Amino acid sequence: MLALVPSEQTGSAIDKPNLAYIEVRDLTVAYGDKVVVRNVSFSVGRNEHLSLLGPSGCGKSTTLRCIAGLETPIGGEIIIDGITVFSADRRINVPTEKRNLSMVFQSYAIWPHMTVFENVAYGLRTQRVAEPEVKKRVSNVLRMVGMEDLIDRPATDLSGGQQQRVALARAYASRPKAILLDEPLSNLDARLRVHMREEIKHLQHQFHLSTIYVTHDQEEAMAISDRIIVMREGSIEQTGRPLDIYDRPRSRFVADFIGAANIIAGLPQGASAAGGPVIRLGDVLIECAPGSKLVSPDTAGNHLIAVRTVYPEIVRDSVNRPNQWPAKIVRRVLLGDIVSYTVAWAGGELRLHTFPNRLFEEGENVQLHIPAERAIPVAAE
Amino acid sequence: MSTIASENPPEGFARPFRLGVRAEVWIPSVLLIGALGYPLFLILTSAFNVGDPEQFPAREYGFDNFVKLAGHLDWLWNTLIVAGGGTALGISIGVSLAWIIHRTTMPGRRWFDLLIAIPYPLGPLVGALAWSQLGAPRDGLINRAFTAVTGIQAPLIDIYTPLGIIFTEAVFEAPVAVLIIGAAMQRMDPALEECSTIFGSGKLRTAWKVTLPLMMPAILSAALFMFTSMIGSFAIPTILGTSSRFYVSTNAMYVLLQGYPPNYPLAAALGLVLIVITGVAVWLVQRVLRGRSYAVISGKNYRPRQVDMGWLTWVLLAYATIYVMLSLVLPMGTLLLASFQSSNAIGFDFASWTLRNYKYVMFDFPTTRQAIVNSLILGVGTGTLGVTFATLIAIATHRSKNGGGQMLEQLTMLPQAFPRLIFAVGFLWMILALPINLYGTLLAVLLAYVIVFLPLAYRGMSGVVVQIDKALEEAARVSGASPMRVLRTVILPLLRPGLIATWALLFMVSVREISASLFLSGTNTQVLGPAIFSFWDSGGMPRVSALAVVQALIILVALTVVRITADRGARV
Repeated sequence: MLALVPSEQTGSAIDKPNLAYIEVRDLTVAYGDKVVVRNVSFSVGRNEHLSLLGPSGCGKSTTLRCIAGLETPIGGEIIIDGITVFSADRRINVPTEKRNLSMVFQSYAIWPHMTVFENVAYGLRTQRVAEPEVKKRVSNVLRMVGMEDLIDRPATDLSGGQQQRVALARAYASRPKAILLDEPLSNLDARLRVHMREEIKHLQHQFHLSTIYVTHDQEEAMAISDRIIVMREGSIEQTGRPLDIYDRPRSRFVADFIGAANIIAGLPQGASAAGGPVIRLGDVLIECAPGSKLVSPDTAGNHLIAVRTVYPEIVRDSVNRPNQWPAKIVRRVLLGDIVSYTVAWAGGELRLHTFPNRLFEEGENVQLHIPAERAIPVAAE
Repeated sequence: MSTIASENPPEGFARPFRLGVRAEVWIPSVLLIGALGYPLFLILTSAFNVGDPEQFPAREYGFDNFVKLAGHLDWLWNTLIVAGGGTALGISIGVSLAWIIHRTTMPGRRWFDLLIAIPYPLGPLVGALAWSQLGAPRDGLINRAFTAVTGIQAPLIDIYTPLGIIFTEAVFEAPVAVLIIGAAMQRMDPALEECSTIFGSGKLRTAWKVTLPLMMPAILSAALFMFTSMIGSFAIPTILGTSSRFYVSTNAMYVLLQGYPPNYPLAAALGLVLIVITGVAVWLVQRVLRGRSYAVISGKNYRPRQVDMGWLTWVLLAYATIYVMLSLVLPMGTLLLASFQSSNAIGFDFASWTLRNYKYVMFDFPTTRQAIVNSLILGVGTGTLGVTFATLIAIATHRSKNGGGQMLEQLTMLPQAFPRLIFAVGFLWMILALPINLYGTLLAVLLAYVIVFLPLAYRGMSGVVVQIDKALEEAARVSGASPMRVLRTVILPLLRPGLIATWALLFMVSVREISASLFLSGTNTQVLGPAIFSFWDSGGMPRVSALAVVQALIILVALTVVRITADRGARV
């Protein structure tokens, strides 16, 4: 059966028109009575790098493990490269080892009883690749991750970062249809994590392979992927390119989870001259992004807008323009590359980040400006 | 391109959702319930049997047997004294030796670690035989030496007393306590003690307030293990107690079962009481341990903080040396010596020493020759079957903690609460009740061994299985390896050190076993333990000793093999 169905989600979002390479339809997973993934559908294009992002317990790893065949869903279909590997209705469940994928595990899963070479060669040997070819490909891929010198080391001698490199080399060496990465960097320290992120990106450029990357770290997801799926409590909350999700979060949850945002609640108050909705919060009127619409309010009838902490401006001179109010610096925290301020204004308190090139003092009276296009209406739930 | 044939749903599809409990959990559970439950049922019904004593299961029920038992309360009382006293002494030896080996700077700790482990696999039968020749009041070697040196005729020690039995039990069970408590000591984070010292507590206060409470779970489980094993201990009280008519429950049971006519119901009633006693002990220990978190003792191995005891080090060294003398050097030396004699009296005239006894037991006498061969077969069989079952069960329980895994684990550990002699009696009755005739076959003994040693095997394998991250296996499957290939290239190699160690342990305990095989091995299927025992019963110390030495040598070879593979495993 052919399953090359053009996907709405990928088709428009990605630069070039793309065909679904991995297709997940209405995936539902339950452990006993507890449903952990509910009707999740998405697709991954050929050579596309997709991230599943969400807090722990949101079902992202379970979804990935279903694609790998390590968990059995109770409903839905999974199609990889035109082959239905799972279908609850048609009772198809292709075992993991016949799905032609690779996976990088959170715990690295480096086999302690093998050398670095044997670990990387494992997949090739199960594929019965000729031994000279195995040697060539293993040393090639080990060179790419900078582990060529340690090729004959027992795996137990490796540090965490080195094990991670071997795990990556092992995943890429067998040239699978797609690479699944399950929180691969979460066991590394912060500095190494940033470094390995770059290495993964480098490998993605070297091998043109689809990847699905599961993470709870929004920074990783933004840095590595073409497209991000934000998951929450077993469902997809939002899908989009990293910057779209960052700039236009659909809900309060996404705004909070990705980056840092201020959530301002107010009642609707017509529209602005620029064509955006306006909300009222006490005496304050806040103009929202032109072209946006207020969405579902919270139980008290308040509509929420999200303002990323990096977008509000503070200035000393008073200029008369919309969304500008007098404010006072309450607290300043120097974080090194950025400065975090808490300012008090008529709408309450607001957090914002600036660069340390121009500093304001605590207690200083300033003007706060929220650019209207940065005030994004978000769904309360 | 077409899909994988959809009309052919792969095996295992959605299986967990239909059954609720996985097949790998319920199949062994059902088997274990049958293999443990039916013998237990037969003991239970027989204990209340007031009709035909050879009817299994019984038809007429009443409390007569328990009324009769009330006239023999001394059997139970003696059992409790021996088991209680033996446990108290054994735990004291175990705690002190574990502490000396793991927590002090005593020289030669590594050697003692090796030597102290040996008496356990050698077993109580070898120990009792050796000590009956060492500590007999008149012609025991120790008393002869005492008289020769001091000229005093009165014996220094008498091993044929309750105290002698307690002493022998404790000495030969203590290695288990050293092992369990020592392992807990190695898993304790030294920071916990360092912290106490920082808050101003001295060495003693730290030991009392921090170390001992943390060790308590390990000490209690070691004590429970010893207590149940001494309640069911047969060889030591029989060999050391029978001549002075000191009866504990096990040798009383033996007499009841071997008498003519055999009194099955009374023996079953006695066995039932013993099962209740061990059951209560297990329940008590679990109750005390509940609520005590093991979290402070992590899975990680630490290098425990070692205390320099100054001049006391020499006292400790002397203490450890005395233990090794009493448990290993003197008993083995005595057996060797006795095995070279041509009469029961041990003589020191080298010229009259002979190897005839070895020739006799190993080649000339068909019964013992066959017993040696049978024991080797049983050792290999129990090791192989036991390790296989234990591994499968360990994987199943580990993989389905919630889906009945815990129940399976409890079932697997259950045989530990039954004294082996009593279980074997129930098992024998079950075999006689089965339509297939297994009585008197090696297979019957093998099955009984596998069941009674399953807790031991499970303990060994579950520790290893838990350490294997599931992702290691999943990584292989994602790499395209079939389940069989995953087993061959990933799981088995990772389990290998644990498999070898557990296999060898099962081999050793099967070769030395007597309680479980005493009634099960028929005249044509003699095995070493019962053969040594019946040899002893009919006299002839030199030949008994020779056979015991052969048994000890088999066990020592197995022990050496484990040690070598363990060392090799550590190096890789």
